[in-house]
Amino acid sequence: MKNIVIVGGGFAGISIANKLAKKLRRKDAKVILIEPKEINIYEPQFVFLGFKNTPQSKFIKPMNKVLSGKVNWLRTTALKIDSEKRTIALANGDTLHYDYIVLATGAKMDVESVNAYDDENIHHFYLLDATKKLQEALKNFKGGTIVISPTTVPYKCPPAPAEFTFVLEKFLRQRNLRDKTTIKYLYPLMRPYPEPRVSEKVQKNFDERGIEFGEFFNYETVDKKNSKIISLEGEEIDYDLLVLIPPHKGHKVIIESGLGDREGFVSANKFTLKVNDHENMYAIGDCTNLPISKSGAAAHFASDALIKNLILEIDGKEPTKKYNGFTVCFVVTSFRRSLLLVFSYKYPPRKIGLHNLFLYGLFKKSFKIVYFKALIRGYL
Amino acid sequence: MTEYEIAIEVDARGSFCPGPMMELIKMIRQAEVGEHLALLSSDEGTRTDVPAWVKKANHELVEIINLEDHDKYIVKKLH
Repeated sequence: MKNIVIVGGGFAGISIANKLAKKLRRKDAKVILIEPKEINIYEPQFVFLGFKNTPQSKFIKPMNKVLSGKVNWLRTTALKIDSEKRTIALANGDTLHYDYIVLATGAKMDVESVNAYDDENIHHFYLLDATKKLQEALKNFKGGTIVISPTTVPYKCPPAPAEFTFVLEKFLRQRNLRDKTTIKYLYPLMRPYPEPRVSEKVQKNFDERGIEFGEFFNYETVDKKNSKIISLEGEEIDYDLLVLIPPHKGHKVIIESGLGDREGFVSANKFTLKVNDHENMYAIGDCTNLPISKSGAAAHFASDALIKNLILEIDGKEPTKKYNGFTVCFVVTSFRRSLLLVFSYKYPPRKIGLHNLFLYGLFKKSFKIVYFKALIRGYL
Repeated sequence: MTEYEIAIEVDARGSFCPGPMMELIKMIRQAEVGEHLALLSSDEGTRTDVPAWVKKANHELVEIINLEDHDKYIVKKLH
């Protein structure tokens, strides 16, 4: 019997574990998931949480609601992976042997390196606790300058900062604070969104709503005392409230095991999902350095090739199935509008519908249900 | 051609904008001052993005080498 171990139980890890448990016979393989957390969070909800209270039961589910009973779940943390001995040292003191390993550790929010989120005027919305602090700040906000900026690239869900800005602008109008507030959106590129055609629409939306855009602003540091954000390019921008997307990096187990690049992301073959220079090892989702967006959707579409290749290898064949980079991305442009983009390695993002109420309804009302009922359980 | 040693090279071929630009910024953050970096890109948008950013950020675009199906951008980190 083969031991197939998945390290990390976010969306990518859970859905891969569920799919493998479904595809493989129990007598042939034991599917083991290593994850200390007992919940799964629907993270696309984070962009809205700063604006209103949402019951946690709407976007957080216990692990046993999303993980198949066929998967052996180890509620502990993987500390170090030895790819030569094919062992994993666990926080509970055990050492686990693997025949195949799937790295799905996700991206870590490196809030410590910013050393600013303890400040009452500096916020983000990439972790649950941070959204609560942000919600409190926005509730008490009386006007001034709000600056939105990523710290580094890549970050999870490329449109999220722009989405947040759109929703923020609407929120301020609803509270009669718009004319007392300057919104500045700072971005690492020369346009406000990665894809040029969508960027034009985003810029048009910014212009219509009076949102100021600062190009080529790559965050360097923040001067908390003087409330200034400073860029790699040497610019200094004043703020009253700063929404700073935290840097993302690889998790400790990846770095400690020597499996990451300089930022701790795993170097994997973008077609086969096999980890470069390591046998019997695959990687998926936000923990990789693949040239695709860091999102649940990308992990979902990549999972098919990973599973087929892993099963081919188990059967003693070459892992030849290729992931073509296909993924989709919802971009929320208001409380009630959104658009859908599709991408692949072969073509740049294409948009399907802009400001489409139907898509918004699909995203807001239905997609969460699809996520918890089908996607994470491995039914799609 | 100037002699230089490439400290970091990233192959961003097949990746569309902003992938290659992001890779360059990532390399700049990782590199030491004075190091040369190489970015391989097959994306046409890189031809405008990289020179514009390098100028704004006050680094040096040493050269762009046009190869068969991609370009190689050599950038020197100046500060």
